[in-house]
Amino acid sequence: MPPVAPRSGDAIFANVERVNAELFTLTYGAIVRQLLTDLEEVEEVNKQLDQMGYNIGIRLIDEFLAKSNVSRCNDFKETTDVIAKVGFKMFLGVTASVTNWDADGTCCSIVLEDNPLVDFVELPDNCQGLYYCNILSGVIRGALDMVSMKTEVTWLRDVLRGDDLFELQVKLLKHVPEEYPYKDDE
Amino acid sequence: MIGVGKVKQYGNVLDKPLNKGKQEVSLSAFAFLFSELVQYNQTQVDNIGELERRLEDAGYAVGARVLELLCHRDKVILDPDMRGYYSGQSSSILSLKDLSLGMGNRRETRLLGILSFVHSTVWKVLFGKVADSLEKGTEHEDEYMISEKELLVNKFISIPKDMGTFNCGAFVAGIVRGVLDGAGFPAVVTAHFVPMEGQQRPRTTILIKFAEEVLQREARLG
Amino acid sequence: MQFFGGSEISPSPPAPAASGNNGHMIYVFNRNGVCLLYREWNRPLRTLDAQQDHKLMFGLLFSLKSLTAKMDPTSAAEKGNLGMPQLPGQGCSFHSFRTNTYKLSFMESPSGIKIILVTHPRTGDLRESLKRIYNLYVDYVVKNPLYTPGSPIRCELFNTTLDQYVRGIA
Repeated sequence: MPPVAPRSGDAIFANVERVNAELFTLTYGAIVRQLLTDLEEVEEVNKQLDQMGYNIGIRLIDEFLAKSNVSRCNDFKETTDVIAKVGFKMFLGVTASVTNWDADGTCCSIVLEDNPLVDFVELPDNCQGLYYCNILSGVIRGALDMVSMKTEVTWLRDVLRGDDLFELQVKLLKHVPEEYPYKDDE
Repeated sequence: MIGVGKVKQYGNVLDKPLNKGKQEVSLSAFAFLFSELVQYNQTQVDNIGELERRLEDAGYAVGARVLELLCHRDKVILDPDMRGYYSGQSSSILSLKDLSLGMGNRRETRLLGILSFVHSTVWKVLFGKVADSLEKGTEHEDEYMISEKELLVNKFISIPKDMGTFNCGAFVAGIVRGVLDGAGFPAVVTAHFVPMEGQQRPRTTILIKFAEEVLQREARLG
Repeated sequence: MQFFGGSEISPSPPAPAASGNNGHMIYVFNRNGVCLLYREWNRPLRTLDAQQDHKLMFGLLFSLKSLTAKMDPTSAAEKGNLGMPQLPGQGCSFHSFRTNTYKLSFMESPSGIKIILVTHPRTGDLRESLKRIYNLYVDYVVKNPLYTPGSPIRCELFNTTLDQYVRGIA
């Protein structure tokens, strides 16, 4: 049986069960609110959101692989392309684009115009250091970690801070190949 | 505080049309996000009761905002005595004065009206369908139950035995409480599993117990 | 706060042997070699203790993967030494082997989740079935907030759905 070709983001999104984006947006807002109440410091909240994103990313990768039939993931360019076109589409229903490749091919930007996390949200003055969507950077980092790529993901542009788009910089630090986990003691 | 419904200083949110709520995300995205919400709260508490309470509180905030959104979309009028509920964000800004003049079609002041609103409109917006059933409690006058065979938030979850009666539906209970409270119908809302004969999975029932004042007002209205 | 304790390696009690079930047993490992799930329906002979058994199985597959990749006659990629670690998903992937008494089918996701299903020897190609099991894993285990990735699976819903599904495999 020949291997099945990877599916497009639109096709997958049309086939999965979907919910109203508002439920999603509001739930995310509730999470951020809880964190702000519990942690108080904006920097702490940023870190916690990133960690939560990481926890989601390490689970989300399995769903992504199961539904999209993507098998090869050793080329970083292909990987980021697949994240932007398939990943964002099948989970958030929006398409992202990849730009700003550096000379090595290890660093690029993922650009989002629409972002369901932030519909109708704006930051009050006392939260100005907050990266509201920081969960996204954690998700990407976590997902890539599980396919053996250590990366660094940072925000370059953020609509809630006055920019016109969301731009995430994804930098590949290294590949981490799978190793035999047991020590040879027997 | 962060949330829907603040006048934004940059201006472009006001220009954004208040969409009809047709945008969607995948169920998985929501499931993962909700899963993180539960897990985060697990680290902040010592027992199941507190966990349920925190989930409920998170849901309450969602419920309050759902109500705001729906009011602008469907022009459902709330009791204007309740804390001046309007949002300065949409393209048609309703002032308190407008609210009291009844600029809209419906005004939910009756118990059954608001319950029907929750069971149908709210459920449809959040979960894509109306709730499976709405029943009046047989033992107490102030109790009503909204049931769902498979509540969205419980869909992928099987509770381990040592967590007893914990129900992630506490989040939905919080949403319902937020909606009811915002509409002027304070109540205590909880979520329960009810085993069904012949079904492998129990159904989830949201139990609503209205406050004294609601019943009194209902009696006055006849 | 830990809601469920226990760090047993063998996660779930054996399922009651259902008659007509073609599957013998199933293992699910993650990329670190932790056995997430072991279920048996039909395994009359037990020689090793559970922990040894899992290690053996994992080691076997790890070596097999490495070996099959190195022996690939069509591969143009540079061949490293035997035993050199590989990125999951890279190189050729083996998916089953058969003996006169059983067939072992294997699937590995790029995230390192390995699913091994042992069935009777006349079973056909189970690649689609294993994918389906992976999907079940994603739906009932990964999405469950009460499950910590990397720990043994204790989701009743997953176990029952899996049992039902395996029973239905020809």
